Amino acid sequence: MSTREIFDSRIESALLLLPTLLVSVVFLYYPTALAFRTSFFDSSFGRAEVFVGLENYVGLVTSSGYHRSIVISVVFAAVVVVGVVVVSLYLTFLIHEVDTGQGLYLISVIWPYALPPAVGALVFLFITHPTLGVLTGPIESLGVEVDWFNNGSQAFVVVALAAIWKQIGYNVIFMIAAMNNVPDTLTETAELDGVGGLRRLVSVYVPIMTPTIFFLVVINTIYAFFGTFAFVDLLTSGGPSNATNILIFNLYQEGFSFFNFGVASAKSVVLFVVVGVLMFVQFRITDRYSYYGG
Amino acid sequence: MVEVLQYAKRRVDALRGDHEARRIHEDDLGTHFQLLILVVAVVFPIAVALAVSTKQTGVITGVGDLLPGSYAVENYREVLVDYRFGRFMWNSLAMSVVIVVGKLAISVFAAMAIVYYRVPYKDLVFLFILFTLLLPVPVRFIPLFQLMNDLGWSNTILAITVPYLASATTVFILRQHFLSIPTSIVETAKLDGVGPLKFMLFVLLPMSKGVLVGVSIIMFVYAWNQYLWPLIIIDSEANQVAQVGLQLLQGDVQGGQLSWSLVMAGSTLTLLPPLLLMIVFRKPLLETFSIQQK
Repeated sequence: MSTREIFDSRIESALLLLPTLLVSVVFLYYPTALAFRTSFFDSSFGRAEVFVGLENYVGLVTSSGYHRSIVISVVFAAVVVVGVVVVSLYLTFLIHEVDTGQGLYLISVIWPYALPPAVGALVFLFITHPTLGVLTGPIESLGVEVDWFNNGSQAFVVVALAAIWKQIGYNVIFMIAAMNNVPDTLTETAELDGVGGLRRLVSVYVPIMTPTIFFLVVINTIYAFFGTFAFVDLLTSGGPSNATNILIFNLYQEGFSFFNFGVASAKSVVLFVVVGVLMFVQFRITDRYSYYGG
Repeated sequence: MVEVLQYAKRRVDALRGDHEARRIHEDDLGTHFQLLILVVAVVFPIAVALAVSTKQTGVITGVGDLLPGSYAVENYREVLVDYRFGRFMWNSLAMSVVIVVGKLAISVFAAMAIVYYRVPYKDLVFLFILFTLLLPVPVRFIPLFQLMNDLGWSNTILAITVPYLASATTVFILRQHFLSIPTSIVETAKLDGVGPLKFMLFVLLPMSKGVLVGVSIIMFVYAWNQYLWPLIIIDSEANQVAQVGLQLLQGDVQGGQLSWSLVMAGSTLTLLPPLLLMIVFRKPLLETFSIQQK
């Protein structure tokens, strides 16, 4: 037993835990249970709920629109996660390599951690706007016609770029800490052996940073699935022709454009499973690497 | 053979210390050049927003238009007063402060009970709190919306603060930190017969200043940047937060009543509070992140 346990009043400990437990039960567990329940009902404003069994789920399994949304979400998450990790890793490496100006470089790339997604979305809308955008001219001079209000793949790229931009800060924060933990002797040995530049990053630093990178992959995946709602809502509203309609936006539409709370609840349950799987993966990975000081 | 000799020479040079000198010279321009390009890319969108927010129209046609204009005071005044963005900012501030203070208080209580009380089932309680990581807002906003309607909380500050008060992440970070406070200090407190309230106020909190500041910044950024939930649950303009208020400004642009310079002024205002806090308190913030990953 730990010597930290210096108090033993059950009433006091219960009182201390009560606020957190109360809020957890009322606003976290209970609504989740409610989502499971409602997913078996036909439910909307102004009409009585009707039990429909698995009908809402059957509807999802057979809906080609929902299948497409799943595929779009997975591809979007893959693009965002790979983009964020690669860019952040390279940036971190460059910052790690220099001796002068490190602090200044660091703050100028980690600030997007504080960036509100809604602000990021509007700024991106402005700089890539098909007629007004600052970047539109330069991009079109490369021979690409900027038309992402109508062109689905272009819209997908714009949303993904905005989402990647916002997430770089958070990733560099963790990566720089991990890279600074690599023993100097290892860096020196690598340099003496002529392992310089990018090869040192890929074959010396990355393997040692694996626990941090895995942690960030999971966090970034959750971000890509859920944290990017404002980008989709403000940049494309899921369009054009649903090309950027990721699951979280699809769920929002089901609930608050169509007011099908039953179907929306079934979609919430699907997202719950997604979060569950991601958290499980992270838990297993953290567990496996904890022996290596991760 | 030549390689072997060169290798030996490098080793010898390293021993002599020549290597160190060379490395500093190698803090080369190439790396700084790449860093500068990437930093410009990360900062560019916000620099454009800032520049445009000081102009009359918000139309950018060339590089020259990226210099600051002379309409800054007028634009910011118009956004804050005429478009009532000051009201949105105030609502966001109220929401964020209530969440930070409330979350911090009840999380300190919970973490204290978990670390310093010898009571049965506390591991189970800790798991019960950690399990809420599986229940982020996107998974439960449909039923939460219905619950708020039943409670009559829609459109109030209660709706956008109370559901956020229970925090597995904060309890976890505080628990980790409490476990790192030396047992000798805790034992001394016990020998002195210090009660739980005194222990919290005069031992625990003073020993946790850095972490408390760090988690406060994390919570503030998180709360201030919330978009989806206020969008759903707040529908009167008087109670709206800045993140969603931006959307109202943007709607007016598309309606032709407003220029982009005002939207960018609103965006800049919305970015400032979390950005300034992050820059000012970056040290405790980064230290707290390193606890979170463990």
